[in-house]
Amino acid sequence: MNYMPGTASLIEDIDKKHLVLLRDGRTLIGFLRSIDQFANLVLHQTVERIHVGKKYGDIPRGIFVVRGENVVLLGEIDLEKESDTPLQQVSIEEILEEQRVEQQTKLENEKLKVQALKDRGLSIPRADTLDEY
Amino acid sequence: MFRYESLEDCPLDEDEDAFQGLGEEDEEIDQFNDDTFGSGAVDDDWQEAHERLAELEEKLPAAVSEQTGNGERDEMDLLGDHEENLAERLSKMVIENDLEDPAIMRAVQTRPVLQPQPGSLNSSIWDGSEVLRRIRGPLLAQEMPTVSVLEYALPQRPPQGPEDDRDLSERALPRRSTSPIIGSPPVRAVPIGTPPKQMAVPSFNQQILCPKPVHVRPPMPPRYPAPYGERMSPNQLCNVPNSSLLGHPFPPSVPPVLSPLQRAPGFVGSPLAAMNPKLLQGRVGQMLPPAPGFRAFFSAPPPATPPPPQQHPPGPGPLVQNLRSQAPMFRADTTHLHPQHRRLLHQRQQQNRNQHRNLNGAGDRGSHRSSHQDHLRKDPYANLMLQREKDWVAKIQMMQLQSTDPYLDDFYYQNYFQKLEKLSAAEELQGDGPKKERTKLITPQVAKLEHAYKPVQFEGSLGKLTVSSVNNPRKMIDAVVTSRSEDDETKEKQVRDKRRKTLVIIEKTYSLLLDVEDYERRYLLSLEEERPALMDERKHKICSMYDNLRGKLPGQERPSDDLFVQIMCIRKGKRMVARILPFLSTEQAADILMTTARNLPFLIKKDAQDEVLPCLLSPFSLLLYHLPSVTVTSLLQQLMNLPQSAAAPAPSNPHLTAVLQNKFGLSLLLVVLSRGEDLQSSDPATESTENNQWMQVMFMATRELLRIPQAALAKPISIPTNLVSLFSRYVDRQKLNLLETKLQLVQGIR
Repeated sequence: MNYMPGTASLIEDIDKKHLVLLRDGRTLIGFLRSIDQFANLVLHQTVERIHVGKKYGDIPRGIFVVRGENVVLLGEIDLEKESDTPLQQVSIEEILEEQRVEQQTKLENEKLKVQALKDRGLSIPRADTLDEY
Repeated sequence: MFRYESLEDCPLDEDEDAFQGLGEEDEEIDQFNDDTFGSGAVDDDWQEAHERLAELEEKLPAAVSEQTGNGERDEMDLLGDHEENLAERLSKMVIENDLEDPAIMRAVQTRPVLQPQPGSLNSSIWDGSEVLRRIRGPLLAQEMPTVSVLEYALPQRPPQGPEDDRDLSERALPRRSTSPIIGSPPVRAVPIGTPPKQMAVPSFNQQILCPKPVHVRPPMPPRYPAPYGERMSPNQLCNVPNSSLLGHPFPPSVPPVLSPLQRAPGFVGSPLAAMNPKLLQGRVGQMLPPAPGFRAFFSAPPPATPPPPQQHPPGPGPLVQNLRSQAPMFRADTTHLHPQHRRLLHQRQQQNRNQHRNLNGAGDRGSHRSSHQDHLRKDPYANLMLQREKDWVAKIQMMQLQSTDPYLDDFYYQNYFQKLEKLSAAEELQGDGPKKERTKLITPQVAKLEHAYKPVQFEGSLGKLTVSSVNNPRKMIDAVVTSRSEDDETKEKQVRDKRRKTLVIIEKTYSLLLDVEDYERRYLLSLEEERPALMDERKHKICSMYDNLRGKLPGQERPSDDLFVQIMCIRKGKRMVARILPFLSTEQAADILMTTARNLPFLIKKDAQDEVLPCLLSPFSLLLYHLPSVTVTSLLQQLMNLPQSAAAPAPSNPHLTAVLQNKFGLSLLLVVLSRGEDLQSSDPATESTENNQWMQVMFMATRELLRIPQAALAKPISIPTNLVSLFSRYVDRQKLNLLETKLQLVQGIR
């Protein structure tokens, strides 16, 4: 906002630590080093953070170049408040395991739901097969 | 290795004869020419070279260990040595055309001298390349990248422990960037990222800007006098021999952008042509080109932490261009600035001045800022993105904002700021509170250029290229639209198509509505002679809107309600009708209202999910106040579905029931009743026929109302106050009470 009031620009965000949420659901945390007009990002010392419940695990990833269209949102991380979180950090193996378990339970629940509906003669069509009248 | 002048000396035993024979035969032809065999073919006496190297290596560790006794060092300096050779070789590869440059040759030779410096761990690596770079100073910027590559080619230093005192960023920087002072932002007197195109006087530079004399920094041309001018007066700097201040070869893309903008009158928003704080400070009597000035302005705050928002309202940024570049630069020149901008710039300078004054002492900003600045200072990877690159991105963003019609292209922004300005104007009127400064981005108003697309043509060719591009699309497929006959389609499809058609009509009508709503603004902006034309257009559009709503079917007495009902079944249609109503004439609007009343139960049923009908209440009420008594009477009839004659009471009135059970229906009914009452009471001298009609209808109405069971009545949006008096005319006390309770007309009951 320094340069151009009323606009959104990433220029002031450079060299600051950011949290970036991607379209595929991944969360990246890194220092924003460079941008361009498409909001392609260059993240430095990037860490992919996986959240499961109250726990999270960090996977160090190095340098990331993110194509701008895949970014859902990004925000600056306040370095002082960064450690001030109720979440608990765990090891990578543990968090990956937790994530796998979570995915599994979700799938199972989904299956049960679909089965129950089928028993009642209802079916929820999948979003991609919906035909707009 | 084997340096033999001729092959005869070669001590080959077996083939001696043969070779000799050969030699004798071809003595005229120098087959064994110099290039291959003679002095020209000086192949590296690699053995000797290796020997030399080994000697050096032995010597050096010895020398160094004498000096420091640090075993680790040996490796370091060995590396340094290797790097030197490597650097030398690389430099030879790179600067082929400059080999005759005596400066360079000298530099290469002098490098070993720099090497054994006591206490200079880093210098062996960094100084070498820095020296190179210094020499390269006068060269064009394009060659800078090669230097960086060179530096990157140097083997990595293993990270050092005892180097905390050193500013890591200062160490990291020379590898890549050409700007020297990034590591210590507050100390910066020269902006970041200005590619050093020219050699400048390095002496004061080093003193002032380099706190650590060990590092030989590439000299920054002091093209911009420090905006905070504590250390040297701008006049001094100006008088420094600096053609760099003028005629700075800007990146080629910039001038074309500047020139059309320069032609634009008034404010021109361009990131490149920003306020030069120097201009405002009015210190320099010399012209500065706007472009470098922009950088000076920008680089001052951003690499440091941007000041917290409460202290510093958004800066003016690249909003002002000093168009009259020949004009002298003093403060008065800023008169063409928007007053807000000028104030903001002034504030900004103040702030920056303060910032620098408080630099070493305790800043106002407290520990937060300083810790953040420390963090920046320690970040060795900071400013990988050069200021120039940032400006480039900003420039692109600004270019995207250029428009011929900002109201059209940037509607929400314009509206937002209009609202804010109205608010602040209102606040100002109320009291003299602290005026909040709001900066507004002023984008350049670029005249729309009509581009006539001309297809690519080559000189002297016979035909034209048939190239299809975005400007010149070509038909690729011959797609023929075939509409199927009615019989083929199933009912579902027909319904679907009808719905689609209705949607299309709604969309078209909505566009018309938006245009009509916009006419007021256009009217204000237009010239006198254009206004009648605008009014005509507006009327025409209103007519078409109405036709769309009611279904334009010429030749029919009254078009069917069908289209209207269809539109009203769709949520967007209802909202649209609510917005259109104010624009319609009274008759047209009354017609709409009647149709709505007539079909109300159906609409109510369809509205069950959306619940949007209540939005129609307010325009309807407004309309009602303009309607004459007759209309109101018939409207009431319609609403309650009362039979035409008072004679036979209908068995049941599901129409009315439905109406009463719906919030909108009930509210509308009440409003209609109220209006009727108003008309009756206000105008006693009305025609008796109308009166009679009204009386009849009211009787019927009250009868109906009394009849219906007090089922779940809806809660109306508003209850008009004169209903009690209305009913009291037509019913006796007892029934009045009944009515009151039923319709909950009396406030107390609720």
